[in-house]
Amino acid sequence: MNHVNGVTLAIVVASFLIVTCIGFASARWRPAEDPMHLNEWGLGGRGFGTFVSWFLLGGDIYTAYTFIAVPALVYATGAAGFYALSYTIMVFPIVFIFAPRLWSVARARGYVSPGEFVRGRHGSQGLGLAVALTGILATMPYIALQLVGIESVLTVLGIGGNSGNILVRDLPLIIAFAVVSAYTYLAGLRAPALIAFVKDTLIYVTVIVAILVIPGKLGGWGHIFGVASAHLSSVNPATGKPYGNLVVLPAGEWAYATLALGSALALFVYPHAVTGVLAARRRDVIRRNAAMLPAYSLVLGLIALFGYMARAVPSVNAGVKAGHGNAQLSVPLLFSSMFPSWFAGVADAAIIIGALVPAAVMSIAAANLFTRTIYKELFRPYATPAEETRVARLASLLMKVGALGFALELNKTFSINLQLLGGIWILQTFPAVVIGLYTRWFHRAALIIGWAAGMAYGTIQAYRTSGGGQAHFGASAAPVFGHTTYIAIMALIVNLAVSAALTVVFRRFGLRDGYDETRPADYVADPVPAPATAAGARTRRTPDSVASR
Amino acid sequence: MVRPGSPAKSPATRAAVMVMLTVAILGALWVPIYAHSLPKLGDFPFFYWYQLILVPVTAILCWICYLLLRTKPAPQTEAQGGEGARR
Repeated sequence: MNHVNGVTLAIVVASFLIVTCIGFASARWRPAEDPMHLNEWGLGGRGFGTFVSWFLLGGDIYTAYTFIAVPALVYATGAAGFYALSYTIMVFPIVFIFAPRLWSVARARGYVSPGEFVRGRHGSQGLGLAVALTGILATMPYIALQLVGIESVLTVLGIGGNSGNILVRDLPLIIAFAVVSAYTYLAGLRAPALIAFVKDTLIYVTVIVAILVIPGKLGGWGHIFGVASAHLSSVNPATGKPYGNLVVLPAGEWAYATLALGSALALFVYPHAVTGVLAARRRDVIRRNAAMLPAYSLVLGLIALFGYMARAVPSVNAGVKAGHGNAQLSVPLLFSSMFPSWFAGVADAAIIIGALVPAAVMSIAAANLFTRTIYKELFRPYATPAEETRVARLASLLMKVGALGFALELNKTFSINLQLLGGIWILQTFPAVVIGLYTRWFHRAALIIGWAAGMAYGTIQAYRTSGGGQAHFGASAAPVFGHTTYIAIMALIVNLAVSAALTVVFRRFGLRDGYDETRPADYVADPVPAPATAAGARTRRTPDSVASR
Repeated sequence: MVRPGSPAKSPATRAAVMVMLTVAILGALWVPIYAHSLPKLGDFPFFYWYQLILVPVTAILCWICYLLLRTKPAPQTEAQGGEGARR
């Protein structure tokens, strides 16, 4: 597996170069009057219609998680990995319910990140800060997951991966990441939005071809499921139990459901998903997309089945074994053993670009959070829009460096853990952000303490959970009262219980409430698209002057 | 400039929307209803084809909800593939 296939590599490199050109050129796409405004760099001018939003959101939330981590889990453990499909089914009805309100209030008040909304809604700088810090913290392992995805493709391509020298091993990855950082720095959200078109086209082509071609070559679905079933019921020498099952057993249903629900609730409080939503031009764009984005979920379901296909190919199993049991290699190995070299290149490029787009959006989203909620709020309340944009650009670079740290530190056997760990943290902002969209019943101080309790509980539980050959942060589900449960859900319950109890106490003692700068009408507002003239400038300036009051 | 986007819909419409969305969510959340291998569709165990079919079903339910909650007939700017607002 370590000899380099010239044709495949050439296609991958060529695709990367094309995408790089698009990335740099995107700075001139729909040029803004004032590119040094955070609305422009950080939200692409807030002008994306249904079509662009569909590509951007799809490109943003279907990541290396979908292409590498989920099939790897299915390859290794079977049906348990399909929780991801269940998660992406229920996420869109959930988004349908609350995302339009978030969009409206953010548009009416000029917010570019969830942290600002929380600060404004609950009148609490501390709570806004907590949300921003959590967003940044939770995004890092998610970006790291993208790196792991790229790395596994590069390993199968035969570049990097196996050298003992860290610099040589990770050099292609670092170069790719540096290039992405450069055009993200320049063009902001426009770069991933444009590249998402290329990414999604490649992904759809790859998946359709794979589903049409591979089962035939492998002797049909009956054979694929048969091989998978035989493997899953054999006993894993490491644990003394079967590897998994073809259908979730009653004992695994609770873990399956909580993993799916926790991930679904978490997804749209992640800064990068919020960024994708806020970049929409109209309120209806979001609802329409909730109905159209499931096309990607179907793709996710089909890609998850790649895990079983990979199991039915002996050379893939040998390759995974040679890679020290790294199941993340299964999909790239499947491509190289089933496709002609040139198409394997296309498929590999799809995965690499599919990881770069979300990594770019994530770093932009975290940068928006940092700039508006931390930098401007705490250090420079009178920062000009241009200064904000400069700071956000630098922050996006720092985010990527932090993610590299995560990628190098944590267990890669199941990179899906990186995403689940991020989910534990980000879900603790759910009460302040999503429940805050509907009610201010919770007291701001109670929300902060509840958040802290949820974060502490979740982190400690995750730390104490072993798995995948490491003692800490080894898995994201832990037994609670005899049921294996996604830690994020338990932490959220702790969070809500503490918040509710303290709210009652604080109200009893008459602790002062924060000032709510939003108005009920803001939550259903649907401003006519600003034609980038005086009217547009007015909506943008008003909230800024409120924020820097 | 900022005008209310959704003039109050009738309670019946809102209830219908909530029911449809709840059905979609529960269809995926309630694992025991689909954690079976039979009946098979072709070579696919029930567990797999149920979830794969639930995806378009959810999409259709969301689309119906969108139509029900839509505040006015599709804004004409959308017809231009989302390019209308900025030139």
